[in-house]
Amino acid sequence: MATYQFEYSSVLESEEKMLTDIELILSRHLVTGHLNRAFTLAVSEAFTNALTHGNELDPKKTVTLRVTINKTDLIADIIDQGRDALRRIADRKPAQLLSEGGRGVDLIRHYANTARFVEVESGGLLVSIHFSRRDKVAIKTS
Amino acid sequence: MEISIQEEGGISVLQLKGRLDLASGAGVKEQVKQLLGQEKSLIHLNLSQVDFINSSGLGVLVSIMKEVRMRKGRLTLSELVSYVQEIFEITQLSHIFEIYTSQQEALNSYQSVKVS
Repeated sequence: MATYQFEYSSVLESEEKMLTDIELILSRHLVTGHLNRAFTLAVSEAFTNALTHGNELDPKKTVTLRVTINKTDLIADIIDQGRDALRRIADRKPAQLLSEGGRGVDLIRHYANTARFVEVESGGLLVSIHFSRRDKVAIKTS
Repeated sequence: MEISIQEEGGISVLQLKGRLDLASGAGVKEQVKQLLGQEKSLIHLNLSQVDFINSSGLGVLVSIMKEVRMRKGRLTLSELVSYVQEIFEITQLSHIFEIYTSQQEALNSYQSVKVS
């Protein structure tokens, strides 16, 4: 089992850094194809939400990304330093077809085997995303 | 993200290359805004070299579509790689965008509209 942990400043440029880090980890552990893309997308969605909604692009706040990987599982924990995480999740409105936002959580839930949303002690949000390396990622069109 | 623009029979064709996400999306939006400012409201986006898109990138495309429609223009997309196409289907955005298999097919469709 391998665990990787990163801290990113809450600025837009961090998204590219995070994607590069994920790419390297997945390549090192030979995670390819659809699972690679689905995992990257799910992490990206949680990460963007952490940057913009959780930390409100405050460069003094950080987003923590922890990736745990073994032969059977891929797990990413994304933690922000925002407040009232559970209220944020509860207030979330489903995206309308012509909405510009609001699709991220749905995409995470679509692709991941499980996704948990937990408020940490400081009030920030921990999103824990689990993918099984044994399952084929299903293509489910709704 | 790299963006190249060319004119094809009155249609502005943008070839996008790289990741379409929160950071890069702003650049694409700005380019389209400039075109609309020049009264160029027939826009085609070739996505054949977009290897990653997330919901922020989708949001940018929805925003562009709304802007183009407000100006009575038209937006078409083409050559989505299978993974990007899948995300359009999951989010049902495939129902609201005009998506073509090839750029040529998309450009021909503008001619058909002109004739009819």
